[in-house]
Amino acid sequence: MLYINGTVCLSPQPTSDTSVFLPEVKEYHSNKIFCIDVDYSKFFDAGSMRRMGRIIKFGVTAGILALKDAGVETPGAISTGTGYGLMDISQKFLNSVIDSEETIVSPTSFIQSTHNTVSSNIALMVGCHAHNNTFAHRGFSFESVITDALLLGKEGFDNILVGAYDEVSDHSYRSMMRMDMLRAEPCSNLKLFSESHCGTIAGEGAAFFVLAKQKSDPTYGTIKACKTFPAPADANDLKRTVLGFLSDNGLSPKEIDIVLSGHCGDAKADRLNNILTHDTFSEQSILAFKHLCGEYMTATSFATWLAAKMMKTQTIPEVLYLENRNREPRNILIYNSLKANHSLMLFANV
Amino acid sequence: MEELIATLKKQIVEQLNLQHIKPEDIGDDQPLFVEGLGLDSIDALELIVLLQQHYGIKLANPSDGPAIFHSVRTFAEYILAHRTK
Repeated sequence: MLYINGTVCLSPQPTSDTSVFLPEVKEYHSNKIFCIDVDYSKFFDAGSMRRMGRIIKFGVTAGILALKDAGVETPGAISTGTGYGLMDISQKFLNSVIDSEETIVSPTSFIQSTHNTVSSNIALMVGCHAHNNTFAHRGFSFESVITDALLLGKEGFDNILVGAYDEVSDHSYRSMMRMDMLRAEPCSNLKLFSESHCGTIAGEGAAFFVLAKQKSDPTYGTIKACKTFPAPADANDLKRTVLGFLSDNGLSPKEIDIVLSGHCGDAKADRLNNILTHDTFSEQSILAFKHLCGEYMTATSFATWLAAKMMKTQTIPEVLYLENRNREPRNILIYNSLKANHSLMLFANV
Repeated sequence: MEELIATLKKQIVEQLNLQHIKPEDIGDDQPLFVEGLGLDSIDALELIVLLQQHYGIKLANPSDGPAIFHSVRTFAEYILAHRTK
């Protein structure tokens, strides 16, 4: 178990201001939604910024702001996750290799195209010479980060900066379209769950957290456990896994107050979520989050940010509800799935 | 020469993604590195790429770099003397 002592999220919603919690909700009419940019010139000098792709700017900024929110200058370790990494910049570099017939290529896109560019830039900016790892495990990337942090905490590391970042790139958008994951036509993100549809909307974001062994005053809450598992055979298999996860952490479904479900608005993909939330969590408030951030491989980092803010403020924005059963945000369970990648995360307030 | 200098300024701004600098802001004799335009060692590599891609010049001796890339004018003079395309 670790305390969440600081967090910042940059997303398609106004989430960057740590003093408020979803002061308004942005409606988009598209099948892909993008992060709201902040003034990056406050964080980088012009010389550095001109070499940074968009994902590097919003990823590093979220990390730096999370440290500031926690009042931590230098973290004890940095662990980040990304599904597609810096795919756009990587493609630019590979295209230049082809265009130049494998002779001479621009160094900038090469040195900025590796998956760990964000975590290494943060380390350079805050002088962190400790553990620095980036996980690129598709839909398990952020969950791998949390698992890493929980293990690091047991090994004595403290003030661990964890986070995840992904962007809507040409590559990720085309891949999702080819796999029939996205709506064919533009749609309102706020009406994502209103009718039965095929496909969801692509999204992006960066969310970072400072996890510590001691709570700050005030803290956001605690992250207790994380589990990843392959696609369950059926709803009963999923139920067994969820009950086993809760039991391992000394809880029964009744003790869960909020389920943050990875409903994405695709009738087929949401089938197991619907059965689980109706059958196993019929007394809990059921919340969704992907209508606000879109679908991406590290979308659970956005859900984790929501969980942290709900625990700290003890409020639940109305826009999140799929089912409101008047529960206060004490024990929060995130269940998410993206294709074969399924995960559970457990949080508790203090 | 003047035409090449103007073209080079545009290419430098584009290749190095100098977002807040217009080509006409760069002086013909202004130092490109450190106290002048403020370019660094990675930019030097970008200029070597520019030299090869646009003018077909391979820089045989890297130690010639500081003299060649001192300013846009010295850059243009070197290109005029060595260009293959």
